[in-house]
Amino acid sequence: MREELAHPTVPSGAPAEIDLANVDLPERNWRIPVIVAVAVVAMVAVGWITTPRFVTVDNALIVIRSASIIGIVAIGLTFVTISGNFFSLSIGETASFSAIVFSFMISNDWGVAAAVVLTLSLAIALGMLQGAVVAAGANPIITTLGAGAALFGLAAVLTDNKTMRTGSDVADWIGQGRPFGIPNQTWAFVLLTVVASLVLVKTPFGRRLTLVGSNAATATSAGLRRGTIAIAAFAIASLGAGLAGMFTAAQVGQGITDQFPELNINAIAAVLVGGTAITGGDGSMVRTALGAVFIAGLDNLLVIRGYSYGVRVAIVGFAVLVGVSLFTVLRRKSV
Amino acid sequence: MPRIRIGRVMASRLLLAVAVFGYFAITDDRFFTTNNVFTIFEGFAQLGLAALAIGLTIIAGELDLSVGSAAAVGGILAVTWAGFGLVPAVLLVTLVGAAYGALQGYLIHRLRIASIVFTLGTLIALRGIAFLISNEDTVVVPDFDIAKLVKQQIWIFSPFSLVTLAVLIATAILLRYSRWGREIYAIGGGRAEAVAAGVPLWRPLVLTFMLSGAMAGLTGALTSLKSGSAAPGGFADLLLPAATAALIGGVAITGGSGSVLGIAVGSLTLRFLISGLSLRAAPFYVLTLATGVLLLLVILLELLVDRPEARQRFRDWRARRGKEVARAEPV
Repeated sequence: MREELAHPTVPSGAPAEIDLANVDLPERNWRIPVIVAVAVVAMVAVGWITTPRFVTVDNALIVIRSASIIGIVAIGLTFVTISGNFFSLSIGETASFSAIVFSFMISNDWGVAAAVVLTLSLAIALGMLQGAVVAAGANPIITTLGAGAALFGLAAVLTDNKTMRTGSDVADWIGQGRPFGIPNQTWAFVLLTVVASLVLVKTPFGRRLTLVGSNAATATSAGLRRGTIAIAAFAIASLGAGLAGMFTAAQVGQGITDQFPELNINAIAAVLVGGTAITGGDGSMVRTALGAVFIAGLDNLLVIRGYSYGVRVAIVGFAVLVGVSLFTVLRRKSV
Repeated sequence: MPRIRIGRVMASRLLLAVAVFGYFAITDDRFFTTNNVFTIFEGFAQLGLAALAIGLTIIAGELDLSVGSAAAVGGILAVTWAGFGLVPAVLLVTLVGAAYGALQGYLIHRLRIASIVFTLGTLIALRGIAFLISNEDTVVVPDFDIAKLVKQQIWIFSPFSLVTLAVLIATAILLRYSRWGREIYAIGGGRAEAVAAGVPLWRPLVLTFMLSGAMAGLTGALTSLKSGSAAPGGFADLLLPAATAALIGGVAITGGSGSVLGIAVGSLTLRFLISGLSLRAAPFYVLTLATGVLLLLVILLELLVDRPEARQRFRDWRARRGKEVARAEPV
C-alpha cells in the first residue's frame, strides 16, 4: 500500500499516442530470474542427495500434477500482480464455486461442452465484476476479500453446504485423462504458461499491462486505460480459478464450498516466490511457473522426509518472507 | 476540511448502527434482552480488538494480513501458559504479540517492503508456528476455572469485554492526544509530506504494527482462555469480519482517516447483524455471506459517497469515451 518510487518509463509530457512496440519497459533485474532458477535447482539437488525417492519419474509426476493446479491459478494471478493490483483473495472461492457449478451442470446432463463453456464464462464474469470495482478505485485486497466471502456464502446457500456430485463419468476424461502419460492438468499448465508469456511479452495488451503496473500515472497520462486493464487482469485470474475448479471437479467427481482451502495462499506464494514485483510492472510467467513448482516440490520433499504439517507451512512462510525481502532489496539496488 | 468529513462519516455510521439495532430489536423480542446484549458484547470483545488491530494499520496506510495467524499463536501460548494464572498469561502473550509486531514493523520499515506481502509471509509462517507449538492438536487449559473467570457475566459485561473497552479507550487517547498517535495519521494521509515535515517514519510504523501484534495476541489469548482451549487452525477467518468492521466504522481504505470510536461502532454494527441472524438460526455460511455482502456494500458506498475523486474518475472516463467515439479509431 506504500507508494514506491515509480520506474521512469515514459518521459513526462509524452504525447498522448505512444508507440507501444517501442516503449522502453523498466529494466529487468537479471539477478531475480537467476535466484528463482537457483532456488528450484537447489531444492531438487537437496532432495536428490538426501532423499533418493524424491527424484524418480513417479514422484516427479506427482509434484508436477500438484504444481499444475497451483500453477494454473498462479499464472492468472500474475496478470493481476503485474497490473499493479497486488493480488486476489477470492481465487480459491471462485475455484470452489466453479467446481460446484460444473458438477451441477454435469449431474443435470447439460453436456460436457456446455458445462465447460458456461463454467469458464461464469468465472470470467465474476472476475470482471471484481475488476470493475477495483477499476472504480476500490482496494483490490479488500474487494476480493469481500467478494470471496460472498462467493463462499452464496455457494453454500445454493448447495445447502452439501457436496455437489457430478453423478456421471462423462467428464472424467477432463480430470483424469493422461495424453502421452502426462495429466491433462499439466498439459494445461504448460500450455497456459507459454500462451500467457506470449500475451505478456508480445501483445499490445501485455505491454499496456506492464506499463500500467510499472507507472500508473505516466501510463494514464499517455492515454492507457487503467480500468480496462484491471478488468481484464481480474478476468484472466478468475478464468485460471475456473479452470482449476473445473479440472478438480472432473477429477474427483464433486464440488464443495471448501474444496480449495489453501489455494489462495499457495497461488499467491507461487507468484511471490517467482519474483513478481508486488508494486507491479515486473513479472514473468515462466518465473511464476517455477514458483509453483518450487512450492509444490518443497512441500512434497518435506512430506517424504516425514515433516509435520506445521513445519511445512512454516517453511513455506519463511521462503515467502525471505524471497520477497530479497527481491525487494535487489530491485531497489538496480534502479 | 477533514474534520467536517469525519463528522459526516461518523454520523452516517452511527445512524447505520442504530438502524440495524432498531430493526432487530423491533422484529425480534429476544434481541434486546440483557442476556442477548451480553452475548453481543462478548462477540464485540473479540471482534473489536481484531478490527482495531487491522484498522490501525489501514489508518497508517499499511495493511496487516497476519492478525488471524497471530491470534492463533496467541491463543495457543495463552492456553499453554494458563498455569501461571490468568493475568500473567494474558500479559505475557500481549507482550510477545507486541514484540513480534514491533519486529515486523521495524523490518517493513528497514526493508522498505510493501506490508501486504511481508504480512502475507508472516500470515503463512505464523500459521505453521501455531501448528508446531501445539503439536498439531487442540490444547486445553489445565483448569477450567480460568475459563469461567474470563466469561463471568457482570450485567452486560464480562472481564473480556471490559478489557476490550479499556484497550479501545486507551488507544483512542493515544491516537488523539499524543504526538506518536498523530504521526500514524500523518504517514497514512500523506507519507511524503509527513516525512518532509520531519516525522521519523520508523516510529509510527513500529508503533502501528506493535499495537496490531499486541491486540491480535490479546484477542487470541482471551478468546481461547474463555473457551478453555485453542486450536492451531483457529482464527483463520478473522481477517474478513475485522476488516469489515473497520471499514463500516468509517476507516478510509486509502489511509490517514478513521477513529477508534468508528471502529468500535463498526464492530458493534457487525455484531448486531450477526446476533440478529443467529437468533433466526442462520447457519455459519449465511453469516459469512452477509459479512461479505456488507463489506462489498461498504466499499461501493465509500466509492460513491465518501470519495469525490471516484466520481471525478467516472466523469473523466465518460468524457474520454465520448472523445474516443468521436475520433472513432483504436488506441
